[in-house]
Amino acid sequence: MVFDRLVNWFRNFFRLRQDISLGIYGCTNVGKTTLANKICMDWTGEEMGKASRIPHETRFVQKKEKVLIESNGKKININILDMPGIATKIDYRKFLKYGIKKKAAKVRAKEATKGVVEAIKWLDHVDTVLAVMDATKDPLTQVNITLLGNLEAKGIPVILVANKTDLKKAKPQSIKEAFPQYPLVEVSALKGTNINNLYEAIIRNSRKAK
Amino acid sequence: MKKKSKIKLKMDFVSSVALDGKTGQKKINFILNRVKDGSILVVNGVLTPDEEMDLIKETMRRVDDGFPGIEVCSLKKQLKGWKQFFDAFSNGREKLSTSIWTGITGKPPKTKLKTGITLIGPAKIIKDIKKNPDSFSVLAET
Repeated sequence: MVFDRLVNWFRNFFRLRQDISLGIYGCTNVGKTTLANKICMDWTGEEMGKASRIPHETRFVQKKEKVLIESNGKKININILDMPGIATKIDYRKFLKYGIKKKAAKVRAKEATKGVVEAIKWLDHVDTVLAVMDATKDPLTQVNITLLGNLEAKGIPVILVANKTDLKKAKPQSIKEAFPQYPLVEVSALKGTNINNLYEAIIRNSRKAK
Repeated sequence: MKKKSKIKLKMDFVSSVALDGKTGQKKINFILNRVKDGSILVVNGVLTPDEEMDLIKETMRRVDDGFPGIEVCSLKKQLKGWKQFFDAFSNGREKLSTSIWTGITGKPPKTKLKTGITLIGPAKIIKDIKKNPDSFSVLAET
């Protein structure tokens, strides 16, 4: 961790790169693509990918490069990386419940397993991570714990995003209680609520803002 | 009277000694070979953050129609104050020596498990894990 921080510090000090790679990580169906779409729509006018209620809709890493975001007079260029949801299990039978045919469900499951592997590999290439969590669900999942532990060990700055705060069942405070050591922004990516606070947090936690 | 069917559940309790001194890949193979055979493993220790991620990655590579994956839960020793600082320092030192070792020999290093407890089982059997900061409960069904 100390070594990684030193490397990051040198990289930032000498401004070896002009933009940062922002990875959007989390479990499945927490709203990662909805959030990526909201950020892209706000700053480029284009959506990034298709969001769906069916798990593992995003099975390949989606990129949007050189998105200039601005908050409180500071600007930063970010490469947005919308990651497939991380999971420890993928059962093709689960997709059948959504009306997907058996053959297509198996293909989807296979692609989803590859997507998880790809998302994990990308952890070595991101500068800042938005760890998205569904505020209506228990945040103490092993995937969240493993992800945050891994990012901490790599020395990568993390911003927790408590998403779906527009829903009645949302309890963003449970995320704060579970992981008090990280900055937390409460948003509704779907409605755009509080999204400016997220931009401010991205710029505050990324050392290349000018 | 209807006869109740017997439910069999196999649990393996593994001492840290069985995994200490193995490379990350060997630890993961040890765990996944048993879990894929239907065992629930309770390990006296926890993997490093890198090994935990590698466990998820390797699990995904082994997913097939009969093995949808794993459920995993670990409890780590929570450190505060100076102990947390020294732990972070020791982790950084360990990572640096690991990088040097791998760079020189080209072989992955052998590591020790950290203090804690880990439960890993097939997702087909473990239906739910409820985790609290200091405990967890498991619902299994065959």
